[in-house]
Amino acid sequence: MPISKETLTAMIRDYHGFELSDSEMDLIAPELDAYLSELEKIRDLDLSGIMSSRLIKADEGGHSDG
Amino acid sequence: MANLDLLKLTISDIAPKIRSGEVSPVELTEAALAQADRLQPALNSFITILHDQAMTQAREQEAALARGEYLGPLQGIPIGIKDNIATGGIRTTVGTKVLSDNVPDEDAEVVRRCKAAGAIILGKENLEEFAAGATSNNPHYGPVHNPWALDHIPGGSSGGGGANVATGVTFASLGTDLGGSVRLPGTFCGVVGLKQTFGRVSQRGLLVTSFNGDHIGPMTRSVSDSALVLQALAGYDPLDPSTVPVPVPDYSASLARNLQGMKMGVPSNYFFELVDSEVEAAVRLAIEALQELGVETKEVSMPSMEYSGALRFSGMADSVVTHEPYIQAKREDYGPDTLYRTLAGQFVLGRDYSKALKVQRIIQEEHARVLQEVDFLVTPTAPVAAPRIDAKYITLDGEEHRVRGPGSGIISRFTSPENATGLPAITVPCGFSEEGLPIGVQFIGRAFDESTLFRVAQGYEAVSPSRGHWPTVIDQG
Repeated sequence: MPISKETLTAMIRDYHGFELSDSEMDLIAPELDAYLSELEKIRDLDLSGIMSSRLIKADEGGHSDG
Repeated sequence: MANLDLLKLTISDIAPKIRSGEVSPVELTEAALAQADRLQPALNSFITILHDQAMTQAREQEAALARGEYLGPLQGIPIGIKDNIATGGIRTTVGTKVLSDNVPDEDAEVVRRCKAAGAIILGKENLEEFAAGATSNNPHYGPVHNPWALDHIPGGSSGGGGANVATGVTFASLGTDLGGSVRLPGTFCGVVGLKQTFGRVSQRGLLVTSFNGDHIGPMTRSVSDSALVLQALAGYDPLDPSTVPVPVPDYSASLARNLQGMKMGVPSNYFFELVDSEVEAAVRLAIEALQELGVETKEVSMPSMEYSGALRFSGMADSVVTHEPYIQAKREDYGPDTLYRTLAGQFVLGRDYSKALKVQRIIQEEHARVLQEVDFLVTPTAPVAAPRIDAKYITLDGEEHRVRGPGSGIISRFTSPENATGLPAITVPCGFSEEGLPIGVQFIGRAFDESTLFRVAQGYEAVSPSRGHWPTVIDQG
């Protein structure tokens, strides 16, 4: 798991989370791995200009090719 | 007409017969209950079958019809309700042991509307625990079985409803769709599944869900029936702030119109990646069929979809907050798939949650732009036909993907993005795999334009290779 069990245990302790045994840490690992994997995909994505009020321009991003 | 023949009809077919007195709501409900009892051992599609209440409702509707009180096409029609939708005075378990004794005080708004329309509530349908998955392998009430192959999943989380509609037990079932949970049972069970625009139908009385993106929608045996059920469900609910006060059109008026000159968008990325070859072939044939009906095709690129996996961040965080009181009170009563998938959400950072909302926004904007150029989008509903019940993984492009529990999500890959956009989407059967398992095609439309989806879906349905096929289990026993 890319985040160590020690870190997770500390987060649970300091943020008053739900306790997890060592074996339970292993059971949540696939979900946490999926989270971190998807996080990696947006690491370099510039989201700074994305606001709920911004104007959508018809010719940016997705388009029809036909 | 024999009972099974009656049960194989659609609402559109049988409603005029009920109105005219040719078909009795009491006899129809008796037949549906007998079918439910006969198939329950094989399908396990119900958590609770409401024999007495259903017969009481049927007698009331028969009496009302005799007095000339006609309530519309759902009057006297047996339907099912997913067991995470509140029914007053009737146990509503949400598919979990945690809420095994939960009896709501009042009906959900959609149940109230169905009853007001004269529908007969046949029972509360089995589902994934807490509706939190795509299999309907319920650890407390047993797995729901796919009627087309009993050792396969029916899809989830509204699997009981999909199985019931496919086998003539119910004429329609109300499911809930937070990531595809109406559309996936639709495609895996070979029926029509609709997730209408977010805000079109009240969620009030939908238990233990997220603030973001859940929908109550119908599964039916035809597109015209989907339109009839949505007609009854749709409309502003002043007690549900998520509903939008927009007019509800006459959906049936949009049906039976030709598709000549319409424009469909076929995504060139994402929606045809990580998809089984049999599924892709069936959907490509559906696209060709639409072309033959006069629909113009445009290939569209949707680059933001590559980031759609980030949408799970908000779902993870929402889930752990939603479940917090239940986990604190009855953690030991959870099944492991739901518990450990949920508990991972406590580690999602607020920063990443906020990023997920921005990704959601760019995906919404991209859909909005593309849907200015085309009338609707066409995609597979699911990347595979129904996996086996005991499958933990499926393999696509040489890689294994988890089917259930922590780390899963592959099955809802093409459906869950539309929960984030809030756009209407419908699945229609489009053929079968070599194993004889149903495959579905998904149409995605503009916000609050379900009418166009119904028009397209019905036009395609009329030429679909799935027409006229029934699972063999319906005739057995």
